[in-house]
Amino acid sequence: MFQEIKSKLNDMSTVKRLCERAEAHALQDHQREPGAEHFLLAALDLPDGTARLAFERAGVEPEALRAAIERQYGDALRSIGLRAEMPTGTPMSANAGIHQAAPSGREIMQALAAARKGHSPLLGAHVVGIVAGMSHGVAARALRALGVDIITLKSTADAIAEVGHAKTFDR
Amino acid sequence: MVDLRDITVPTDPDEALAAVVALRRLADSIERQAVRSALRQGWPWSRIAQALGITKQAAHKRLSDVAADNSST
Repeated sequence: MFQEIKSKLNDMSTVKRLCERAEAHALQDHQREPGAEHFLLAALDLPDGTARLAFERAGVEPEALRAAIERQYGDALRSIGLRAEMPTGTPMSANAGIHQAAPSGREIMQALAAARKGHSPLLGAHVVGIVAGMSHGVAARALRALGVDIITLKSTADAIAEVGHAKTFDR
Repeated sequence: MVDLRDITVPTDPDEALAAVVALRRLADSIERQAVRSALRQGWPWSRIAQALGITKQAAHKRLSDVAADNSST
């Protein structure tokens, strides 16, 4: 019982940290509402280290993700014959009040909620597994730009999350 | 100068939709830069809203943080 309450409190703290980091990454990207790509960056920031581990085991450099997100925008514009540099951004500040995510970000949160009914601890690898399962959108394109095999990344992240889950119950 | 006749829409929907997302992001960025410039030149929100074709309330709601940033620099 105590373990379950402790686990829930830890989860709430992790969710809060995940959302705050995702919002910070979105604002840095000049977007007010974090999308899946910002949640992926936020997962790499989580102290459990499992998101980074999933990337590394799948042969991907975690630090390269931000540049790949930016690069896929340029690639998309070039695909229609435009070559454009984004204007140097006017800083953006957060919405006052409640955190709001873009639809792809909400999809991540809903998937996390649905997948964690067994009260397993939330880990960065869970987020990576969910995002790697999304075949369209900025995050998917950024992962493709990195040359990631998303099937490998997803299975690696899911396996790491499962081991993390087991370790928690072993304690 | 970009000649819009040179723009080709990819036949692959994933590519075409990604281009739409990138164009929206570019437009948002240009909008914020233009609003910042307008505010620095003393434009009131009513004039900015009229130029953007939206209500003053909508302009202020979406872009008021540009004003905050503008006043702090």
